[in-house]
Amino acid sequence: MDFIALVLSSTIAYGVSLLLVALAGMFSERSGIINIALEGIMIFGGMAGSIFLSLMANSTFAENAPQLTVLIGMLIAGVSGGLLSILLGYAAIRLKADQTISGTALNIFAPAFAVVFVWAIQGQGLTDIPLPRFINLNAASFGIDPSEIPTWLNTLLFKKMYLTIPVAFLILIASTILLYKTPFGLQLRACGEHPQAADSVGINVKKMRYSGVIISGVLSGIGGYAFVMTSSNSTFTANVAGYGFLALAVMIFGNWKPISIMGAAFFFAFFRTVSALALDERMAFLPKFGLSNPEYLYNILPYFITMLVLAFTSKKSRAPKAEGIPYDVGKR
Amino acid sequence: MTKKTKPVVYADRRFLDRLTAAPGFTSVSASVISIIVGLILGFILLLFIDAGSSFLGMSDLLTYGISSAKSFAKVLYKAAPLMMTGLSIGFAFRTGLFNIGATGQYTIGAFFGLFAAIMWKFPWWAAILIAMLAGAVWGAIPGFFNAYFHVNEVITSIMCNWTALFLCNLIFMNTPGMWLNPSDRSRTISVVTANPSGLLPRFGLDKLLDSSYANIGIFITILIAVIVYFILEKTTFGYELKAGGYNRHASVYAGIKSKRNILFAMMIAGGLSGIGGAISYLAGTVDYTISSTSLLPMGFNGIPVALLAFSHPLGIIASSVFIGYLQVGGEAMQPEFSAEMVNVILSIIIYFSAFSLIMRGVVRKFIKRKEKKETPETPDAPVEPPVTESKGVEN
Repeated sequence: MDFIALVLSSTIAYGVSLLLVALAGMFSERSGIINIALEGIMIFGGMAGSIFLSLMANSTFAENAPQLTVLIGMLIAGVSGGLLSILLGYAAIRLKADQTISGTALNIFAPAFAVVFVWAIQGQGLTDIPLPRFINLNAASFGIDPSEIPTWLNTLLFKKMYLTIPVAFLILIASTILLYKTPFGLQLRACGEHPQAADSVGINVKKMRYSGVIISGVLSGIGGYAFVMTSSNSTFTANVAGYGFLALAVMIFGNWKPISIMGAAFFFAFFRTVSALALDERMAFLPKFGLSNPEYLYNILPYFITMLVLAFTSKKSRAPKAEGIPYDVGKR
Repeated sequence: MTKKTKPVVYADRRFLDRLTAAPGFTSVSASVISIIVGLILGFILLLFIDAGSSFLGMSDLLTYGISSAKSFAKVLYKAAPLMMTGLSIGFAFRTGLFNIGATGQYTIGAFFGLFAAIMWKFPWWAAILIAMLAGAVWGAIPGFFNAYFHVNEVITSIMCNWTALFLCNLIFMNTPGMWLNPSDRSRTISVVTANPSGLLPRFGLDKLLDSSYANIGIFITILIAVIVYFILEKTTFGYELKAGGYNRHASVYAGIKSKRNILFAMMIAGGLSGIGGAISYLAGTVDYTISSTSLLPMGFNGIPVALLAFSHPLGIIASSVFIGYLQVGGEAMQPEFSAEMVNVILSIIIYFSAFSLIMRGVVRKFIKRKEKKETPETPDAPVEPPVTESKGVEN
């Protein structure tokens, strides 16, 4: 029971950053802009949030209101991500530049800038930012005595619990409502499917695409912040282990739909957890195929399965029709 | 156009026009403008970080690569694999594909090149061939999925990158012969001790340049770049590949076997990256280290190499040496500034080169307007020959 709780809590912890960033990709692509810069924006947002948290580490404010500090850090991460994404939007929307290339530029920029910047403020060679301990949500944060509740429940709820996790689920719900139940969502989707038609009924395509890209930047900034907390041993290292790219795969796997994206994100996270725990004695039932270090085999599995699934479902793919194509008013 | 509309004034401008209208000129000038902007913005960032050392840092970055024969040898050492991943990505760009999987193909090539050299005691050239084949197989996967299942090659390449890393780690962990020693599995055993014939020959270059980084790798890669140029520009196969890159549907309509070509293009791209991996690690100066959290950066560095050269194989020779030069200079900036500063500058260069097509248009308009003013008697100014625009990715 304890072990199942551990697997579940790790899966959720790994999954939320993937979920957030895949949703980020979805908003951008639904508006018609391919955001390949998710990885870079994650790093940028994670950096901004981590710097804020480490600055607040010993302040009385953080002592009195630790979770409020985490929330402010999240906002800072989101705003920084949004700001960086404007660069992508400007190149893609205003200058009609190639979206993959400008996205790649941001992907190279963000990790390099993070190292240069953190190196500059922390001193030579120190490029990691350890997060302060107060960010954890544990039983005591809710005034619960951990000994009063069963161990498995404690593991499930508080082993890897950060404020970003419940917030991620709120964002998922909000995204679904925004995309399907509001005029804004309808207009955004129209711009990704057929911008000329959208324009003909009075929708400002450029504005909608900027909105899509900026929402995408904010969410991936928060996703990067969540990644630093949940998947990176609470240390910022200017590296998000390819999660930004993985999120693109999750988004496609989830067919550009929020709820399916959630499923895909936790699918990946589950295998990630399995491979992380592959050497645990409680996982002894996993076949090892006579290999040493079989965890690498389990690392490969989610990619392998996704490729097969993509191959067999590509006919049913619901990719936005106009993604990646700069909006040209004169085009039919 | 017709001889009648060619005014006398035009003759005076003929040289300038011919120059600015040449496809190479506009690309080169756009890249040069991007490079200058990148360097200026990078310098401004240095000023913000530490104004006192910024001048020294910048001069290190710009001059260290040629400050001695030793550092120049290192520039060439870095440029060789950069050229291969740049060629790999550039080749795919020209055929309308974005090979972001160069990193995975490079990793597979490096690993199997080393495997052939260490485990099978292959000579260096055979190990490079093995690396090329392994890279080609790895490139074929996204090519196959794209051609026959319509799965975007970017997504499959990204997944192949991580799969390559984990697969190499898995094989490494299960091959005791490749370990540095039984207790240290963090890196491969050095090729120097395992199989000296697996090392790239140096032909005295190491003595000439006084550096262990010197080897014939750069000459092999330049030769390959010329071959790639020949394939793309002088063969029917290359023409078909490029036609598919410009307009997939039109090429299919013209009877070109698009699916087969996508597969071949990705295989060639993968093979090129694979060779890069082998050339980098068979130099015997750096060992392959095992990581499970980060991909080798070389494949990603090939992207700016290709973009800066507008994916032209001969341009890639120049851009890879340039970027290798900056990387060596960047290391000299430490410890005042991080060597990552180079990547900041590169990213700015790429960002600006992404809309160089627009800048190019502005330059052309400017020239036209000037001409109109000077030749009022001919209302329609001489039309320049169409410029072949080497665009990066066709979507």
